[in-house]
Amino acid sequence: MDPQLELSQCITRRQLLGRAATGIGTAALATLLNPKTANAASEPGLGFSHVAPKAKRVIYLFQSGGPSQMELFDYKPRLKEWHGQELPGSVRMNQRLTGMTAGQTKFPVAAQRVKFAQHGQCGAWVSELLPHTAKVVDDLCFIKSLQTEAINHDPAITFFVTGAEQAGRPSLGAWLSYGLGSENHDLPGFVVMISLGTGRPNDQPLYDRLWGSGFLPTQHQGVKFRGNGDPVLYLTNPGGVDDSLRRRMLDDVVQLNQLRLQTQADPEIATRIAQYELAYRMQTSVPELTNVSNEPDHIFEMYGPNSRVRGTYAANCLLARRLAERGVRFIQLFHRGWDQHYDLPKQLQGQCNDTDQASAALIQDLKQRGMLDDTLVVWTGEFGRTVYCQGELKPDNFGRDHHPRCFTVWLAGAGVKPGMTLGATDDYSYNITERPVHVHDLNATLLYLLGIDHTKLTYFFQGRRFRLTDVHGKVVEEILT
Amino acid sequence: MLRLKFSQAVIVGGLAWLSFVDVTAAESTVDFARDIRPILSDNCYACHGPDEQARQAELRLDRQEDLTAEINGHRVVSPGEPQQSELFRRISSSDDERMPPAETGRSVNADQIALIRRWIEQGAKWQPHWSFTPPQRSELPKIKLTQWPRNAIDYFVLARLEQDGLAPSSEADKSTLLRRVTLDLTGLPPKPEEVDAFLADSAADAYERVVDRLLASPRYGERMALDWLDAARFADSDGYQGDGHRTMWPWRDWVIRALNANMPFNQFTLEQLAGDLLPGSTSDQRIATGFHRNHRHNDEDGIIPEEFLVEYVADRTETTATVWLGLTVGCARCHDHKYDPITQREYYQLFAYFNNIAEKGRAHGNAAPIVQLASQQQKEQLTSLDRQIENCRSRLAANPADAAPKTEMEQLEKQRKELENSIPTTMVLQELSEPRQTHLLKRGVYDQPGDAVAPAVPAVLSPSPTDAPVNRLGLAKWLIDPAHPLTARVTVNRYWQLFFGQGLVRTPDDFGSQGERPTHPELLDWLAVEFMQSDWNVKAMHRLIVTSATYRQSSPCSPQLLEKDPENRLLARAPRLRLSAQAIRDQALAASGLLVEQIGGPSVMPYQPAGIWEDVASTSSGYQVAEGRDLYRRSLYTFWKRTVTPPAMAVFDASSRETCTVRQRRTNTPLQALVLMNDVTYVEAARRLAERVMQESPESPDRQLPHMFRLVLGRQPAPDEAALLKKAWNEYRTRFANCPDEARKLVAAGKSPHDPKFDAMNLAAHMVIASTILNLDETITRE
Repeated sequence: MDPQLELSQCITRRQLLGRAATGIGTAALATLLNPKTANAASEPGLGFSHVAPKAKRVIYLFQSGGPSQMELFDYKPRLKEWHGQELPGSVRMNQRLTGMTAGQTKFPVAAQRVKFAQHGQCGAWVSELLPHTAKVVDDLCFIKSLQTEAINHDPAITFFVTGAEQAGRPSLGAWLSYGLGSENHDLPGFVVMISLGTGRPNDQPLYDRLWGSGFLPTQHQGVKFRGNGDPVLYLTNPGGVDDSLRRRMLDDVVQLNQLRLQTQADPEIATRIAQYELAYRMQTSVPELTNVSNEPDHIFEMYGPNSRVRGTYAANCLLARRLAERGVRFIQLFHRGWDQHYDLPKQLQGQCNDTDQASAALIQDLKQRGMLDDTLVVWTGEFGRTVYCQGELKPDNFGRDHHPRCFTVWLAGAGVKPGMTLGATDDYSYNITERPVHVHDLNATLLYLLGIDHTKLTYFFQGRRFRLTDVHGKVVEEILT
Repeated sequence: MLRLKFSQAVIVGGLAWLSFVDVTAAESTVDFARDIRPILSDNCYACHGPDEQARQAELRLDRQEDLTAEINGHRVVSPGEPQQSELFRRISSSDDERMPPAETGRSVNADQIALIRRWIEQGAKWQPHWSFTPPQRSELPKIKLTQWPRNAIDYFVLARLEQDGLAPSSEADKSTLLRRVTLDLTGLPPKPEEVDAFLADSAADAYERVVDRLLASPRYGERMALDWLDAARFADSDGYQGDGHRTMWPWRDWVIRALNANMPFNQFTLEQLAGDLLPGSTSDQRIATGFHRNHRHNDEDGIIPEEFLVEYVADRTETTATVWLGLTVGCARCHDHKYDPITQREYYQLFAYFNNIAEKGRAHGNAAPIVQLASQQQKEQLTSLDRQIENCRSRLAANPADAAPKTEMEQLEKQRKELENSIPTTMVLQELSEPRQTHLLKRGVYDQPGDAVAPAVPAVLSPSPTDAPVNRLGLAKWLIDPAHPLTARVTVNRYWQLFFGQGLVRTPDDFGSQGERPTHPELLDWLAVEFMQSDWNVKAMHRLIVTSATYRQSSPCSPQLLEKDPENRLLARAPRLRLSAQAIRDQALAASGLLVEQIGGPSVMPYQPAGIWEDVASTSSGYQVAEGRDLYRRSLYTFWKRTVTPPAMAVFDASSRETCTVRQRRTNTPLQALVLMNDVTYVEAARRLAERVMQESPESPDRQLPHMFRLVLGRQPAPDEAALLKKAWNEYRTRFANCPDEARKLVAAGKSPHDPKFDAMNLAAHMVIASTILNLDETITRE
């Protein structure tokens, strides 16, 4: 018998029984039973795949802090007429505001000071802050009518990626790792990369829970690929230990563990042996992955000069493509600094400089490699921003507060209609006038594109079958190819 | 070949277990509580259960009177007559009348339908949910293997084994047993001299005396505190966006003291939930109430304070329910509970006990209410400063033109302020003078108040004692009332989990109808009653468990046993359990001699790779890796920042401490291997372990390597293990002799100084062996 297969059967004993006992679905089980079938898990009929998947993997570009839909995508020409005027009560409708502006006596409309133009065949409106994104609009699908429930960063971003405002639930990537397993045996199935925004450096704190496994087993938590030090924590051997010494030591660890396996007959020991081998392979595969020196110059030029600077958003976009090429299922970037309460013009310019070229390059790069067909790319923040000014509206400066009622996201690639815009907002970009899409709907759609019925990906915990979309969520059919 | 057979056996084993349960059920009387309620709960209660809003067809299946009722001319259940029972007819129907409806995603399988049929045939006897009636101490069951039991526990375990034709495993060998019980009770490995003493002690009570020594060790309180800190979501930071730092370690130290002093669990409960309300409450009793200030605090700009006040109170309510009741009352925050008889109103009645704290919704760090913990010296300094300030003030009043007292006074006031700031504080509970009215919140939303409610306990459980006041103290008294059906059961179940990896109820956070039934119901009840009758004596309960024959079994498992009971529910063997994140690190520190055994004090910052906090947090105060002793304190004292869990701990399943956690998790991942191989914590521990054996056994590697093995694993290496290590050592020695620079690099690991008297090449070779041992599965497992 193939020793690897034999080992994998040992590995799965506890999972098998755990699942049988607690009624967890059979799909993750199929993956665990034989990692080889994990490759096929995205085929219909296997595992948690309930429908034919369009996407094999996701690259999720999270813009943390709440990018202003008004300065980027949601063109509202009439705001110029109303600039400085009080936002009409008929628009605001006494909706909840954050504590930062609830005390303001005036809510003056702040017009868009950036120029907008229509681009591509589809004629999508994009502001001058995003010249590169403007060039790929025919590959993008915009939803201008996304809405969320929370109004402050922590609950809102937690809600966006875990489906609940409170801490403790698994993140989207953890759900996917649990439901679909990993395609690559030498790399984790869920990778997270974080970059700082130059628009508002050192802001928008993130939290481990955003890529945490919640109540799912810990192995499903996202693995951070870091911009400094070891790309994966503790990856590098200590000084004085080279690869051959590590291998030699590991051989002894394996042998001693095998001796123990013989007397104890505990399958966990077999798992441990396999995990040490995987760790050893990661020590090679991760540096190979993060070493971009073999990328040609034109690729760096495409992603922009920052793509040569480790830890930047641009460098992370390039790494995202390399991870996608190696079959990593869920790659999530978090770019910090999108919280423009004040100094919006200057800050936003910085944020767009950080991200525009690389986001667009990622689309083009995936496309030229034929990978956009089975890779889904998502660009979003946790909420949008208010049409009214936060603080004093000055001739050359202003800010905007958090706005959960409408904001713009875009998707591209596998299974999503290119060059499309769904939904619309009123003339103030304050309320949705057409086709509201809730965060739960977006998450249901992502799962659908990966072949998962969001109502069936569940985990039994504390007496309930939990799911990413709670008891909500409808797939956004209009954007599907 | 052995392993090949083995892996085949386990797959078959999984299926065998399931059918084995069914066969057992098929041959005996159907038991409503054991066999039927779980089926109804999981498949029916969401629409035909306690939640009035969600209820369909006005049908309830969770209460006796409704089950036998007649609705529209149909009997729901007609005892003895399955065909006349609408319940049976609908679940076995093949047309669109079939229940549950397909769109619910739930379905009742053929075996379950057969069970329900037989239950009705046998008279459809109803029983209340097992955990809602007080535990009863039953007679010890009859057993055949009468020489095996050491105490009452063993009678229950053995009776169950014999029922299935199984026999217990032999007692573990002495070195395994000593390592197991030492790790379980103190979180540290046994010292070599302790191993020697125990191996040499042939007295009949040698083991019991070891247990007593361990229970008396100050390390016991530290080890036992760990699980309580997870339950209490204790941390050193606020947990939301800003994640500011706080000092709650005085509360943590209170827990360690209480556990070491063997404070009875009822007192432990009273002081933490309501220490401030006890007559003549002491400073310590107020510190204890920090239990319910350990939840997260939000100080994000722009939050609505009222919203987060509600979150804090909800956290206290749900944590209390998880820890003492083992119930998922959080489900009833937005609507009536769907499975257990807890209404939304009752949720807010519980909530009301905790809704009267003099606190703010937007809170940062040690937010009021707090207590200051001035030392005697600090108190004296304060008094002295106050006196001097007063003196200056009088001089100034007497002679307003004199500048000297004014300057002096300003300086003294500055000093006083500095002193004041240096005095630690800790958050506590304190009631508002004007009670706050609690309302039911519609859909659980802070700004949707419904009816006003007053504090009260859920009707399905025991009533509040008549002398209990209607406040937190009354709630605490209710929890520890001997008539309470849950507190003792839930608590002894967590203790069982400490020593067996799984509770007798494998869902320690859910004793409701969706939770698992106990594997040994009579044993759980016996222990619960014993616990209460011993006046909630925690150490006595721990002693009872670890001195049982059940606990003292060996852990290796035969393929036959693995096939019959793969999850070890019946306990025919001791479980083999991976150590907790904290114990893995503490063990490495202890074995290498680095461990600093100092109880309590501010949390410390041991090694952590640079930039981890900065990657995600906006805090200006970065992680400052400690110097000297603070690098080597027990992991219990590691600074716990909730939004950035210490990474090497998180990899080994440590709780993030964001919410109350009472379940243990044990994964097995490649990242764990990377930590043990490469984290400087373990590389330095390997060096110190190597230095230690070179110091203690100067003769030769033939002595040193087994000594090292024994320091970590508490046993001598077997000949093949010793040979393997020696062969490797020879290779490493040659290797480092050829590249001494590499040896020097390796021995430089860690901040503790490298003793130059040890030759770097020898030391490096020893280090790789030490690292090998620290990476073994056996090392991070308690067998």
